[in-house]
Amino acid sequence: MKKEPKKVSEPQESKPSKKEKPPKPKFNMWQNAWWMLKLSWAEKEKKVPILCILSAALAISSNLTGLFITPVILGTVESHAPLHTMLLTILGFVGLNLLINTLSSYINANEIYGKITLRSAIISRLNTKACITSYPNLNQKDFQELMKKANDATSSNNRSSEAIWYTMQRVLQNMTGFIIYLFLMSALPPALIAVVLLTSLLNYIISMPLNNYSYRHKEELSKILNRLGYIQDVSRDHTMAKDIRLFGLRPWLQELQEKAIKAHLAYLMREQNVLIWSGIADLILAFLRNGIAYAYLIGLVLNDGISISMFLLYFSATGNFNGWVSGILNSLLTMHRQSVDISIIREVLDYSEPFHIMDGEPLRVAPDCHYELRLEHVSFRYPEAEKDTLTDIDLTLHPGEKLAIVGLNGAGKTTLVKLLCGLLDPTKGRVLLDGRDIREYNRRDYYKLFSAVFQNFSLLPSTIAANVAQTEENIDMKRVSECVEKASLTEKIESLPDGYENKLNREIHLDAVMLSGGETQRLMLARALYKNGPVVVLDEPTAALDPIAESDLYQKYSEMTRGRSSVYISHRLASTRFCDRIILISDGRIIEEGTHETLLQKGAAYAELFEVQSRYYREEAPANV
Amino acid sequence: MSEKKEQKNNNLLSWKETWKVSLRALKLFYHYRPSMLWIHTFYTIYTALTPFVGIFLSARIIEELSGNKDPHRLTVLVLFTLGLSALLSLIGSLTRRHFKVEDQFLYWLERQIRADKMLRMDYALVDDTKVHEKLNTLDQYSDNAGRSLRRVIWFYDMILSGIISLFGGFSLSVSLFTSKVPESAGGLTALNNPLFIVLIIGLLLAVTYLSPIFVVKADAIWAKGANDHNLSNRLFGFYGFLGAKAKIAEDIRMYCQETLCEKHNKSKEGTFHSNGYYARQSRGAIGIYYMISSIFSVIFIGVVYLFVCSKAWAGAFGLGMVTQYISTISKLSGKVSSLFQVLGQARNHAAFLKMNFDFLDIKNIMYHGNLPIDKTDVKNWQIEFQDVSFRYPGSEQYVLRHVNIKFHAGERLAVVGQNGSGKTTFIKLLCRLYDPTEGAILLNGTDIRKYDYQEYLSIFSVVFQDFCLTNYTLGQNISAREEYDRVLVEDCLKKAGFGERLNELPLGTETYLSKSLSKEGVDMSGGEKQKIALARTLYKNAPFIILDEPTAALDPMAEAEIYSRFNEIIEDKTAIYISHRLSSCRFCDDILVFHKGAVVQQGSHDSLIQDSAGKYHELWFAQAQYYTNK
Repeated sequence: MKKEPKKVSEPQESKPSKKEKPPKPKFNMWQNAWWMLKLSWAEKEKKVPILCILSAALAISSNLTGLFITPVILGTVESHAPLHTMLLTILGFVGLNLLINTLSSYINANEIYGKITLRSAIISRLNTKACITSYPNLNQKDFQELMKKANDATSSNNRSSEAIWYTMQRVLQNMTGFIIYLFLMSALPPALIAVVLLTSLLNYIISMPLNNYSYRHKEELSKILNRLGYIQDVSRDHTMAKDIRLFGLRPWLQELQEKAIKAHLAYLMREQNVLIWSGIADLILAFLRNGIAYAYLIGLVLNDGISISMFLLYFSATGNFNGWVSGILNSLLTMHRQSVDISIIREVLDYSEPFHIMDGEPLRVAPDCHYELRLEHVSFRYPEAEKDTLTDIDLTLHPGEKLAIVGLNGAGKTTLVKLLCGLLDPTKGRVLLDGRDIREYNRRDYYKLFSAVFQNFSLLPSTIAANVAQTEENIDMKRVSECVEKASLTEKIESLPDGYENKLNREIHLDAVMLSGGETQRLMLARALYKNGPVVVLDEPTAALDPIAESDLYQKYSEMTRGRSSVYISHRLASTRFCDRIILISDGRIIEEGTHETLLQKGAAYAELFEVQSRYYREEAPANV
Repeated sequence: MSEKKEQKNNNLLSWKETWKVSLRALKLFYHYRPSMLWIHTFYTIYTALTPFVGIFLSARIIEELSGNKDPHRLTVLVLFTLGLSALLSLIGSLTRRHFKVEDQFLYWLERQIRADKMLRMDYALVDDTKVHEKLNTLDQYSDNAGRSLRRVIWFYDMILSGIISLFGGFSLSVSLFTSKVPESAGGLTALNNPLFIVLIIGLLLAVTYLSPIFVVKADAIWAKGANDHNLSNRLFGFYGFLGAKAKIAEDIRMYCQETLCEKHNKSKEGTFHSNGYYARQSRGAIGIYYMISSIFSVIFIGVVYLFVCSKAWAGAFGLGMVTQYISTISKLSGKVSSLFQVLGQARNHAAFLKMNFDFLDIKNIMYHGNLPIDKTDVKNWQIEFQDVSFRYPGSEQYVLRHVNIKFHAGERLAVVGQNGSGKTTFIKLLCRLYDPTEGAILLNGTDIRKYDYQEYLSIFSVVFQDFCLTNYTLGQNISAREEYDRVLVEDCLKKAGFGERLNELPLGTETYLSKSLSKEGVDMSGGEKQKIALARTLYKNAPFIILDEPTAALDPMAEAEIYSRFNEIIEDKTAIYISHRLSSCRFCDDILVFHKGAVVQQGSHDSLIQDSAGKYHELWFAQAQYYTNK
């Protein structure tokens, strides 16, 4: 359903032979076929395998009638059978064809829906896994790689997760056809059958490595297409349009596009120049096979006096037989490749979880409960980092306390919040909820504690009310409007044509409304209030607000957080005045702690930071720096 | 499912319109890539004709086998047949390479056409949500529903192939009608009656007329569902891949958004899912139409079989000719019925081609003057807004009202005001991304519309609040060229405060700005990107530098650094500065205070702050109170 996949390419350039062998897939081809079958059962889409079998049966029947129709009718002419026998034979075949054609047309029209539903089911499972998997997994290289491949394998109808049904059908169809033909051709000498088999095998052996070209070079191609797609996306991106025009980027972009197109065309021609050898091998082998078949069968006509119709039958049969053999070989090869992708999908779904995502101690969070959160000698280092981002942090968030965390960009504020929210687990030390290590709890229950507004938020393509309530059913509209009021957004929403029922996200709903950055931030605040978690976390909530709106938020802050604990992260020091306690983080450590007044009196780092920010606001400001 | 605005009317176009719009689409492709159309034409004709050669020659072998059975003649015939087939395959393979290349490129060619159009459009149009909607709709139709511009090429191939096959087929089957059943056959001589020719041709016409009717009917159901399809595809595209958005992973977890995703993703009602619109239609009408349409060609072939075999049975011609006629006519009937189906589909598709042209025909409306700008006397330049009012196209609401201001080159100008007060729009008008709805903007007393547009754009360097850099290299981003002056680029980067970071980069100015295009790329932080954007404005070396809200993402130290650096690097240029951090105003000679689309105050900080009833006073103290009264 999505357009061309965009992937980051491998470090290796275009030397495929040098490439390391990919690790062996966890599940083999038959295990994966079985998994797909089980999936169709679990998702109540049994019709998918059933339709595959029916399609295969019809394809074989159609092949067989096609094989027999001309020779048999020709036979009646040749032997000058009674006219009505000939006419009935013709009518019989016409009837058979009618049946097969109408049935296949009907099945053809119906077979994709179940397959798409199953692919969507896989996408849904992958998405759920991505949404709930332990947060650190998202930064694991191998998880990212697997996820990317899994997403690619589900990205369109012709990708493995859906196409494998068609491949399994082809395996079934070709094997059955092969066996039937073996019986049909049993009257022919084994040597002739052997010749046909041999040419088919030879053809496969010659063309497989050639046809593999595209498979082996798919990283190269995706790299080329990635560039071409990117440059076209940039050219038409309306958010880029201002920069394109003011900085005169058009000639440059067009030159880049020309180059990318040339690279793409050159790749395609290289690919075709390799593939053509497979075509040439095919025509030489067809020459040999048909030559031998002609020679032998004409001999039969001349010497043994077999009929022309039998001649035609056998000649077509040898051609078709070749088709079954190469069909088996090619479909098995394809199935093997697609099975690797299915294996990757299963690996993603089974990817191990460092957190208790589905199990662990359940935690029932009541909104009016008070909790104490404590970081006990917490250190944290990102995987593969050379030093700790946070070192030996000891911090208690008391019930009902308003805590501010300040510090420069990169000091570790955000990491600290992630540890507190249970998105990361400390490398050393513990995070305790009322004295109990949070690792013991079900992590998704633990997340219910927090009413958070992060810097990046996930807006849903749904109504404003649904965005506040985070559900599309049983929305408590009274609470929604209360929360929106607290976030100072009522006036805006009520000025909209459909009020709370207006949809958001223009990309998806064409009649959606657009909110400005500041308005969206306030909507996210309303959402946090609606969630009513006992701990409020606000990460830089004023960045997009103008001075008056910012001031308004400060005034309302204590009302919004009444009866709850709160953590406020900001580099605007004005905000910290409304907090009970301020901690200043620098280089991963808490270097100062206290109230705004005590920290200013101390005259150290915090006071310096405040001085830098406030100097221009004071009357005795220096003229210039 | 369907939304108000999406209920577009996809009326069936007339045959004449279909022909016109299809021809136009072909011409468009020819314009972009003539070789593509030539290769398609040659390959299609070639592949349509070659099967008949095989049919003709195999028939000769059968003829010989059922007749003289001369081994020598047979050997020659077989060798000739095999050899010629091999030769034809070889030529076919050689041309197929080019055909395949063009065919795989076609998707990108269509994208190129749209990208080019967007690049050439007036900014006012590019910025128009109606234009985005048109573009998105086109994308969705072409990527997900097969309703693309390039489909016209497929129609072209199919129709051409059908017509050529008709010629080939007729040339091999003409003798079917001319060869007579001998008198000895008795009653069967009736087959010699020319009425049979009429009958067969009549039947052929009936089939070609009837068969597509049902396909077209089914196709029309598809076209009707295309709108719903787009919405549900968009929703699926969102909820099915939400987890992949790494930036918002924290938020997704905190608000358990997987629940809502699953609710959407597991629904089988989606347009292409088991209980969706198309599935239901396919179990019913679509499936039945397809079944019916498949009947006609079978019946037609049946009748031809009956006619040919009866004639042969009566002795009009031998077995060789029977195989020739039967193979030819089976080949032909498939081609002919698909030819007519394609004609029907092309007509259904024409409405979608028209949508493409509706987009491609969007006309630029901005007036482009041709006055050159005299750059010798930059220091004495003056810009004046004369009673400028502005509303966005299609909107009733004025964003700017009666703006009357003047400022001089070399000044430092601050623009302040609340969110939505018109600050950014003011900048867009100044840079002539938009033209005023009323009033005029003058540069040195001349309406800016009279200047050469490219030249006028060249006097401004802007870092917009939502500025964008590409993922290409640092040097290319700054210079907007593939070949650039490295020393100059490095110099600008240093001035913009990026020098230290630049030294850490092993590839220097050749560093890609993201990992997506190069493994060695580097993802820059927001602050770093801002510095790069600043370096780009310096490289451009325009007399006006405009910074829109550059410090929002920065911490106090970085903010202070930008302030002081800014002052230093603008030298004698004119600087315009938009910010929510009013502390920046202190650097500026002149401050414009915007409120609800009007300039309510203009003056220096010291004079504006005196007016305690003024907007500036309010804004300043809303912020300053937290920093001053201890």
